[in-house]
Amino acid sequence: MDSLRQIFFQECEEQLAELESGLLEIEGGSEDPEIVNAVFRAVHSIKGGAGAFALEDLVRFAHVFETVLDEVRKGRLSTASPVTETLLRAADVLADLVRVARDGGNVNEERIHTAADELAALSGAPIGANAEPEEEVSFEDFGFTPVAMDFPVFDDIAVVDTASVEAEAEPDATTYTITFRPHPSLYTNANEPVVLLRELSRLGDAQIVCDTSTIPTLEELEAEGSYLAWTITLATTHEEDDVRAIFEFVDGDCDLEITTGDLASGNDEPVGVDDDIAALLARVRGEFTDTATESASPAVSDTDIAHAGGSASVDNAAVAAIVVANIEAEAAKPTPEAAKAPAPAKAEKAAGSDAPSTNQTIRVDLDRVDRLMNLVGELVINQAMLSQRLTDAGLARDSEFATGLDEFEQLTHDIQEGVMAIRAQPVKSVFQRMPRLVREVAAITGKKVRLVTEGEDTEVDKTVIERLADPLTHMIRNAIDHGLETPDKRLAAGKREEGLVRLSASHRSGRIVIDIADDGAGINRQRVRAIAEEKGLIQPNAQLTDEEVDNLIFLPGFSTASTVSDISGRGVGMDVVKKSIQALGGRVSITSRPGEGSTFTLSLPLTLAVLYGMVVTVAEQTLVVPLTSIVETLKPKAGDIHGFGGDSRVISMRNNFLPLIDVGRELGYRSQPADPGAGVALLVESDGGAHSALMVDAIQGQRQIVIKSLEENYGRVPGVAAATILGDGRVALILDVDAIVAASRSGASTSETAFALAG
Amino acid sequence: MSRTGKSSRTGTRRTAKKRLQLPEVLDLTAAAPLAQSFITRRGADLTIDASQVRRVGAQCMQVLLAAATTWKTDGKQLSLEKPTEEFLEGSHLLGLRLEDDLAVGEPV
Repeated sequence: MDSLRQIFFQECEEQLAELESGLLEIEGGSEDPEIVNAVFRAVHSIKGGAGAFALEDLVRFAHVFETVLDEVRKGRLSTASPVTETLLRAADVLADLVRVARDGGNVNEERIHTAADELAALSGAPIGANAEPEEEVSFEDFGFTPVAMDFPVFDDIAVVDTASVEAEAEPDATTYTITFRPHPSLYTNANEPVVLLRELSRLGDAQIVCDTSTIPTLEELEAEGSYLAWTITLATTHEEDDVRAIFEFVDGDCDLEITTGDLASGNDEPVGVDDDIAALLARVRGEFTDTATESASPAVSDTDIAHAGGSASVDNAAVAAIVVANIEAEAAKPTPEAAKAPAPAKAEKAAGSDAPSTNQTIRVDLDRVDRLMNLVGELVINQAMLSQRLTDAGLARDSEFATGLDEFEQLTHDIQEGVMAIRAQPVKSVFQRMPRLVREVAAITGKKVRLVTEGEDTEVDKTVIERLADPLTHMIRNAIDHGLETPDKRLAAGKREEGLVRLSASHRSGRIVIDIADDGAGINRQRVRAIAEEKGLIQPNAQLTDEEVDNLIFLPGFSTASTVSDISGRGVGMDVVKKSIQALGGRVSITSRPGEGSTFTLSLPLTLAVLYGMVVTVAEQTLVVPLTSIVETLKPKAGDIHGFGGDSRVISMRNNFLPLIDVGRELGYRSQPADPGAGVALLVESDGGAHSALMVDAIQGQRQIVIKSLEENYGRVPGVAAATILGDGRVALILDVDAIVAASRSGASTSETAFALAG
Repeated sequence: MSRTGKSSRTGTRRTAKKRLQLPEVLDLTAAAPLAQSFITRRGADLTIDASQVRRVGAQCMQVLLAAATTWKTDGKQLSLEKPTEEFLEGSHLLGLRLEDDLAVGEPV
């Protein structure tokens, strides 16, 4: 049950995404009926699934929503802007309801009511039949539909009863005959005929006859098989499309035939149905009359409630008589209806539509992919070790070995890429959440904003995507709240009233680059500087380039908003954004032009499973420094190194003094300071954009390495991010540059980290 | 088969009928366990207690119908007791007349 629920909510996410993107396309002026259909389908299947899980609130709202979309679909409601805005708001509410249904918590009742009322107004106005959906909804409160009766013996009286009621109200009802035979796949896709039939009976007066002739005995029964089929005679004022819409989501999972008119002429009769009815009649006449009489009154009173009127005074005996009479009268009728076998041509067509037209997908547990990923990592390491051994044995030059080894290397590389591609997902899933955010923030700030997204199909590792959502949300909030000007200021500046926020993703040299650009006023550097000085983040007379000033906003404790606004100022600033991007091995940079806007650029690795690193030697240990944090490398001259209080040293570079961090001492590999002249300095950028120089003994080379987590077995080791296995089989630690820099700054590092790493 | 045969003897010897309580939710996932619980109770008169049922699905109904067929073949009696409104509504929507195959008791 839980797993089904989980699947339902996963599908909800997909449907909501579909819904949102469809609505946005409609908002953008698209008139493709397929999009409207897709949007309708999305809401409809959420409703269907929610019904199966008895999520009443969700069903109710989705129903109202769906009614409006149906109007749109039929072209009776135009998609002018106030309508699409309402629909988008409704989509947001629907997403909230799904979230609450999944995670618990409270729904903002008022918001739902407002949205539902807006929707009702839309669907009500053009056709003047608003009462109808509402009535249906109210019946859901009782968990009961007008047609449904509470005792199966009364099937037919129920039908007759509603038929007469509906006949008075709606004289021009059409009769459809629907044959519906589910395939087993309908069940495996978590669809439920009960739900479909309930929907159907809501459209009008439905006589449902079930063909049970193919039911096997227990030992032959496959519990997950499909043996039942239905013939439904439906008298309704709705159109055939409405009837078809109910089966829209099981299209391809069942044989379905819908014909107009009450075909009463003789047809081939399926074996069993006739017998069943004869048997039923016999039993009803014989044994069941008594039971019927006894239980007639509750049944009738329910009918009375449902139809608010009628024959309350009918006594039990009379009802029983009617029961039998009606069943007899009806007995002849269902038979030919049930008999209508689907025409062969149609059946073939239905079978043809089964063929997969889109890419097929499977859901795979993430753990399995991770395990595979891990194994591929081992394979890559093994391959490196093998080639190392061959080299050591002097065989690598042998052409046969060399070719074999090359091919092997190529294969492992391909496999690795293939596995990473499994984990890769388009950034669409994150980008899709942004339009809603933009709408909300725009509404709160009173600004007009248009969001343009590009490169949604750019793929990146799932973990990266998941951890990208928060920073992106924050940056977009910032772009609207701080970046864009108010509409009047924009007009005064000769810009369009509506601000533009552009969110784009692309692949660039093995990394994914995401730009968040606004066309606002740009960073107010004077103000940024003033704030930084006021908060003591920089010296009042410090010489800073424009770029450095821009980067001040990434400093912890910096917030440009003079009042803490509801939107961006939530106690987290850009420093948190930067930190989370850096935790992913990424970087953030800003370009800003006064009056023209700012662009924040994120550059992220495509995967967290491998990284490009520089392999270095420190005190005879091999370490890996992530390439992303290295700005440049240099061979320092002894004259550039200066002592700086106590043990610390600085290196002079292009008229700047940077702290020189002796990695060997920091990690406790040696107690004596290394000779700077003999080593190599790696210029690295760490937290807050500060530069420092890491002192290592030698550089071995650059290579792609497979990350192996240490935390599982050793806990968090200060200064070490993870480990990897090198070609020679040795374990090399991957440096956590930020931690090393921070530790050297705090000064108290040496003893502590030395102990931590002594083992 | 021999095992079920034995259980049928013990079953008939007993005066009290065997009972099977239907679970609250008869959805897709309940079908296979339900079929299994019928199979283990085969060969004796059985009363199905539907008093807990809140939700009904077609696949479980298939199992019920298959059980009814099987019991009929075995010449044993299968009856259903205390169906809830939900159970009846569900079977009604599915166009089923369970009383064809089972002796159905009064609704609760």
